[in-house]
Amino acid sequence: MAEVQNSNPTILNVADLPTRTRSTIKAGDYHSGIFAAVPNPADFLSSDSEDDDLLEEPIDEQEIYDLIKSISDPEHPLSLGELAVVSLPDIFIKPTLPNVSDSPLQTVIVLITPTITHCSLATVIGLGVRVRLEQSLPPRFRVDVRIKEGTHSTGDEVNKQLGDKERVAAALENGALMQVITKMMETCQ
Amino acid sequence: MSALQTFMLVVDNDKDEAKSIAASVAQDLESKKTTLIDIVRQLGEYINDEDPILRGKAISFLTAVIKALPPRFLSRQQIQVLTTFFGDRIEDGGAVAGLDRLQGLERFNKELAIETAQALFGNFQDLQSRSQTQRFQVYQLLNELMSRHREALREMGDESLMGIVDLMTGEKDPRNLMMVFSILKVVMMEWDVTNHAELLFDSVYNYFPITFRPPPNDPYGITAQDLKGRLQDCISASRHFAPHAIPSLLDKLDSTSPNVKKDALNALIACIHSYDPDTVSRYSITIWEVLKFEILNAQEEFLSESSLEALSGIAKRLSEGVTEVSSDLPLAQYLRPITQECNEQLQEPQQKQAKPAQQILSSLSSSSAVAFTIIVQSVVAPIFTIYQEADGIVKQRALLETLAVLFQSATQVFGQWTTRGGEVAQANPLVEFKDQFSDVLGQALMGSAKDEVSFRVTALKGFLRLSTLRDFFQENEIGLFVQYLDEILLTEESVGRDDLKKEAIAALAEISKHKPRLIMDITFPAFVATLPDEDDGTDSTYLSTLDTLAQISVERDIFETLFRRLFSKLSILLQKEQPGSAAYPRAILVTLLYVMQQRQMDADPNVDLYFDKIVVGLCQSVAESASGQGKNRLLNDPTILDTLGRLCNLLVRAVSVQKQEQAAQNVYSLFSTGGFVPVPFSEGASADQERTIIISTYLLAGLSKECVNLIPNTSPDMSGLLSDLVKRSVSDNAEPATHNAFLHHLALLVNKFLSKQDLKIAENLFDSLVSPEGLTFTPATIRTIFWLSKALVLRLSPSTTHILTSLMGLLSSPDQQTSHSTARGFSILLGDDDVLSAANGATIRMLSKQRVFTTVIPLISSRIRDVNIAGNDDSTPTTSSDHIKPAHLTALAGILSTISTALVMPELPTLLPLLLQSLDLQTSDSVAVRAATLDTLAVIIRDNGVTTIDKCGHVHSLVQRLLKTTVARPGSGVVNPPRLRVDSLKCLYLLATRQTSGESGNAKIPPAISPLLPEKAQVLRSLRAVLDDPKRDVRKAAVDASSAWFRGVDDVPEEDD
Repeated sequence: MAEVQNSNPTILNVADLPTRTRSTIKAGDYHSGIFAAVPNPADFLSSDSEDDDLLEEPIDEQEIYDLIKSISDPEHPLSLGELAVVSLPDIFIKPTLPNVSDSPLQTVIVLITPTITHCSLATVIGLGVRVRLEQSLPPRFRVDVRIKEGTHSTGDEVNKQLGDKERVAAALENGALMQVITKMMETCQ
Repeated sequence: MSALQTFMLVVDNDKDEAKSIAASVAQDLESKKTTLIDIVRQLGEYINDEDPILRGKAISFLTAVIKALPPRFLSRQQIQVLTTFFGDRIEDGGAVAGLDRLQGLERFNKELAIETAQALFGNFQDLQSRSQTQRFQVYQLLNELMSRHREALREMGDESLMGIVDLMTGEKDPRNLMMVFSILKVVMMEWDVTNHAELLFDSVYNYFPITFRPPPNDPYGITAQDLKGRLQDCISASRHFAPHAIPSLLDKLDSTSPNVKKDALNALIACIHSYDPDTVSRYSITIWEVLKFEILNAQEEFLSESSLEALSGIAKRLSEGVTEVSSDLPLAQYLRPITQECNEQLQEPQQKQAKPAQQILSSLSSSSAVAFTIIVQSVVAPIFTIYQEADGIVKQRALLETLAVLFQSATQVFGQWTTRGGEVAQANPLVEFKDQFSDVLGQALMGSAKDEVSFRVTALKGFLRLSTLRDFFQENEIGLFVQYLDEILLTEESVGRDDLKKEAIAALAEISKHKPRLIMDITFPAFVATLPDEDDGTDSTYLSTLDTLAQISVERDIFETLFRRLFSKLSILLQKEQPGSAAYPRAILVTLLYVMQQRQMDADPNVDLYFDKIVVGLCQSVAESASGQGKNRLLNDPTILDTLGRLCNLLVRAVSVQKQEQAAQNVYSLFSTGGFVPVPFSEGASADQERTIIISTYLLAGLSKECVNLIPNTSPDMSGLLSDLVKRSVSDNAEPATHNAFLHHLALLVNKFLSKQDLKIAENLFDSLVSPEGLTFTPATIRTIFWLSKALVLRLSPSTTHILTSLMGLLSSPDQQTSHSTARGFSILLGDDDVLSAANGATIRMLSKQRVFTTVIPLISSRIRDVNIAGNDDSTPTTSSDHIKPAHLTALAGILSTISTALVMPELPTLLPLLLQSLDLQTSDSVAVRAATLDTLAVIIRDNGVTTIDKCGHVHSLVQRLLKTTVARPGSGVVNPPRLRVDSLKCLYLLATRQTSGESGNAKIPPAISPLLPEKAQVLRSLRAVLDDPKRDVRKAAVDASSAWFRGVDDVPEEDD
């Protein structure tokens, strides 16, 4: 890895990355800016009710994206989100067993786009994404990380490696490799 | 025995005795009982002895005698003789010290200095084999000669230069090196070094890079940085070193150690600052060629920063004395390859390498006006070309960012509108492109798609920079920008996080500092025109308009306009029969309040006007409304009264003594001219009338203590007034806001205005409130008791302990309701309050918090222990005392939430079990207690690390309870709302990330097994389930916590690594 393979990639602005917008701001509830500074006496009287406690917020694509966008690239001090290695439209969640209607099992598919087509680190990046998701998602999720079609010269090869449970497990036993992956995940918050 | 012999006997063991012997001999000399010749003759016996120790002692005797003589005693001739004598025997101990003394005498002349120096150079070839102290003495002598007789040494020329270098060559001791470096620096700067530049340079450069690390507990306190600093001063001392220094330092940049590179860069910067511009120019391009690599392929941030500093340093030096730009300038030649490189990198400005190119442009263009001009001339036109041809908005934004970098530099070089002085003679080269900038930025800001927020924000920031740049835009051009901003704020829909609007407001606020007139002429009319006459409930966009107005009106002139406009809006509203919702007038008042809080009102010349309009005028209207004479009921609304009260409070604090006295007399009558009955002592007051106490309370809070005698109803003492307030406070039928005001009013009077002699009145009131023991207390009574206690405890009245124990008694009341209300009251005791605050001049003693804490905690702790023991004894716990434990834990949480952890830490072993028991509470009404407990725990862990918990031996219990609180759907009767789940996950996260306490700075603790390790497996297993929590925030916290445990909690560190 001494030689940096792609020394000058294109960078996206962090502010432009897709984020979740809280759409639940109620109309007329202008609690920002200067009006937040002066407490309304009415606030003392009502305890903050947690009415929406029961409202479920299922895991969605944006949440998956938020989990992996802050992983660092092994080559640059930049995140996978900034380098557009991972992007929101390339994340899919679907039921693992579409025929069993009440099965909780879900599959997450993440397609990654290497910055250059011959990037030898694509496998490492894929592994990093995989490890991050396996550590961060509940056990009922299956994780499937693949190289996006047509973005890598040996995409099939890499996919085979990433899809093979045995080979992934073996790779994670490798101390040097694990060190790289741990380093990549240090920036996750 | 002669004095000499006694001296030689004792000198090793008794320094003082030796000193006094020498002193008495010196006295004999002074009184002419003996002569110098005699003393020297006495020495004769020993100074040719074989034994160097003996010789040394003999010489030391002479030195000691000379030291004891008054400074003007020795004649020139005697000094000469002694100098020669010491010089001949310079290798013997004591001689150097003797010379040191002699050279300090007034009659010591140039020739003697030369003689001494020659003696030093001639006889110390073996200096480095001597002890550190001896070497130190020699350097000390040299140093003294350097400072007193520099002229003489300099005249020796090469002889002294070579001599000094020879003397110190091979020195290794840091203490000595500190002195050596400073001696050499003088030589380098003041001697003619042309013939010996390399020799001198090598003599110091041999020490580069300095790798010295001071030993632990170093008594001399010399750091590597001290040595580096002095060495750097030497390297940069003379321009004749340049041919040696610059190539060598650049070579060092090939080192793999970032520290060496850093030292080399720092030395290089020092050289650039100190060598003359011609020399710097000779090496400028070479330096660029090398440093380019450090910046474009930044290894470490600080290396790239230092490299940039070096480059801009060169530009600064080369700009010295340059007034006219031409392509023959050394500066222009230096900048040519640099701008070329940057232009190349900026061809694809969205790529990674463009960032360093921007940094290079930024630091070089800000170095001087000339450099700025040269760079602008070669960079701006190409940027425009790329911009026109750019195929995407990403690329365009990156280019705008690059331009913004140049605008920033322009601001540094040419100043802002508000900058005083420092005018630059040079014309701003950006002026040539002014119209282009205006077009491109205006187009980007207003002409691009509304959802391209970050692109528009970049354009906005660029436009703002140019608008504040001194003597750049015309008024009307800035006016155009202001119009754009108004349009964005008034007509555009919100997009995403509203970044653009936030930036627009900030930009208007910034412009208001530079060009207030534009804001008043353009923005104000536009914004005020959109304010409605009343809020009919259909549209509340006025809130954001007022918000913006508030933020741009901090400047004095603008505030005046704002006040006039809003006050007239408000006056019209108050006169309306149907004024609509109270939210609108309240928002107007909040707006005024916000701006006044931002400004120094007591320095505002108009403060009296504001006082008359708001405090006098509106209070009168309040009184009218309270007695039913208002046009509408706006001023009967408690939220409006509260906001108005805050405004009055702020103004009363800011006005003169006379005005304050006026306010004091009208605290209750509210400046009314008739018809209004003040609240105190009024029988059967209506709710409207009682509500005016809200205003009275805020007025009272703003008064200074000196006004106490002017407050009505306080003479001969306050007992009547206080009793009346207590009577009203304990009554159950007051409205909440009014009740609150009564409590505050009571507390203010007792805390701030009640004299020390009269404290008894308040204490008696307290006793009468708590005395009917065994009875049940209403919540209103309990609140009154607590506010009265707060007032007394904060001023640490003598009855503090009595008060606190009485409160504890109420807490243990068998009546569940009483105990429950008391428990919740404890958070009032020390909680911060807007009215009873230091800003309002309340008496808040520093130690009051500590006092409450140390009094109450042991009581709570022992009471809980009692309950626990009783619970274990009885198989069927009596239901009557079931509430005691939760009540005490609630009280504890209330106190903990209001004091700093520094107070908590010493008591942690007592507290931690209590906190853990708080987490055991499971029902829904314990949520507040548990939340407060988790907050406290989080702070403890964050500040002190897991070791503190481990010391108390509670890691396992803590982790278990935290995990239990993370469960979303626990068994029946147990409630863990999302907030608690998130908080306990945060604690788990902090446990794993704060494993070592912060203070273990230099003393590295050997890696021990983490106390968390036994918990790791279970924590990770439990957290997997939490990862499926229905709430997103909880899942996020769970992810963070579990990855912290994955990474942070390790087995014993591997040895073979």
